[in-house]
Amino acid sequence: MRDRIYGFTIIRGAAAALAVLAWACGNAEEKVDKPLSPSGLMGVEIPKPRPKPDFTLTTTEGKPFSFRRDTEGYLTLLFFGYTHCPDVCPIHMANIAAVLRKLPPSMSERVRVVMVTTDPARDTPPVLRSWLDHFDRSFIGLVGTEQALYAAEETAGVMPSMPDQPDSAGDYTIGHAAQVTAFTTDNMARAVYPSGIRQRDWAHDIPVLLALGDKKKS
Amino acid sequence: MNWWCSATGAEWTWQWQPYPGVWLFVLSLVAGYGAVRWRLLRAHPSRNWPGWRTALFLVGTVLLWLATDWPLGTLGAGYLLSAHTAQYLLLALMGPALVLLGFPGWAAEAAWNARAGRLLRGLVRPVPSLLAFNAILFVTHVPSVVDGLMPSQLGSLAIDLSWIVGGLWLWWPALAPERAGGLSPMGRIGYLFASTVPPTIPAAFLTFADYPLYGLYELAPRVGLSAHDDQQLAGLLMKFGADPVIWLAMAVIFFRWQAAITPPDSAAAESPAPAPGVSV
Repeated sequence: MRDRIYGFTIIRGAAAALAVLAWACGNAEEKVDKPLSPSGLMGVEIPKPRPKPDFTLTTTEGKPFSFRRDTEGYLTLLFFGYTHCPDVCPIHMANIAAVLRKLPPSMSERVRVVMVTTDPARDTPPVLRSWLDHFDRSFIGLVGTEQALYAAEETAGVMPSMPDQPDSAGDYTIGHAAQVTAFTTDNMARAVYPSGIRQRDWAHDIPVLLALGDKKKS
Repeated sequence: MNWWCSATGAEWTWQWQPYPGVWLFVLSLVAGYGAVRWRLLRAHPSRNWPGWRTALFLVGTVLLWLATDWPLGTLGAGYLLSAHTAQYLLLALMGPALVLLGFPGWAAEAAWNARAGRLLRGLVRPVPSLLAFNAILFVTHVPSVVDGLMPSQLGSLAIDLSWIVGGLWLWWPALAPERAGGLSPMGRIGYLFASTVPPTIPAAFLTFADYPLYGLYELAPRVGLSAHDDQQLAGLLMKFGADPVIWLAMAVIFFRWQAAITPPDSAAAESPAPAPGVSV
């Protein structure tokens, strides 16, 4: 008798667990597990949107690139990072690229991803181009002198990058701003995306940011 | 010092890392097996404990060790979901099956009939076993559970142990003698076939999800595969890595059963039939 009670208890418990967990798995992908911003963004919304900065650096093809002018009309995602970065930079780039591949062209073609290298010494234009191509060939890579880089960081309002002490092999990491800044099509910085932001967050926010920019422009 | 593999967020390196907790776990398994073997043989001096049983137990234990130690344990705990799924295959399917096969049928009967075997008799029945195994499978693959537990050594240990317990729970009715809670040969085959169905659900979620389900693996420093490819590989592994193990067990059960029911004159020319109820 007791054996049967054990059996029924297990069956009931397991069946309930299966039902709940099948539901949990099914909802995991779309689950929103943090509060949305006032505009319905998963990123950190900037309370007082600021204008798109105006700085000019050089593309990996050697051409001058005016950030404000050459991204006019696009949802622009700006990131300061470097190719030897072990974690944040490749994860941001990979996640944005993965989401852009899944969005319809009518949306993905309206997005520009711009990465400014914080490691001009190692990130030569070919190195940066090759690294970005690994994620998405449309990503724009910008290089410049240290002075130009610092000026761009200051204009963009991000923390200035700072190389750490090299190790015995001469390798070094660089402390840099870990967030991606999103500028909507009305040329205003609307939100920042710190490290830890996920693909599903980008998939949610890119359409919202496009709509938000269009609404403000009109 | 890390005692058990867990997600650290550090950049992946092929430099060996020690996990003393894993070694203690494996050593305690071997010591426990030796102690049980010694006590049972002393209590049943006329019984035989074949060397191949011990060999199977040791192979199973080695699989459990490989799954929990560096590098697979480290990769699975914090870098690659596909490695995590490979751990699942070893910890929940292959390892427990071999560990159970390491005990002769009479030893399983002794455990089943012992006073302490009451819990075993209550819990290890086909339907509860199947449901419990799949409940463990589902719980340990819920994103919030994985993301919440894997960064801590105790959480990671809990997931690994739950897979081992779930695996033993699943395999017992399929491998134990009929007098120790095992099913009939056809029952075993049907039971094992049924066990291949529910894992298709999480495997499908992993394979076909548009975006990574687990923040832990999505945001981990990359080791070769993209988060999406890694997740797809994990889903395929969960289904097409696990099913052949079950099919192999079903095939062995079937052919041994056929051999057992073949008329003695024709069977004599092949091999002696197994004693009734002896595990696979």
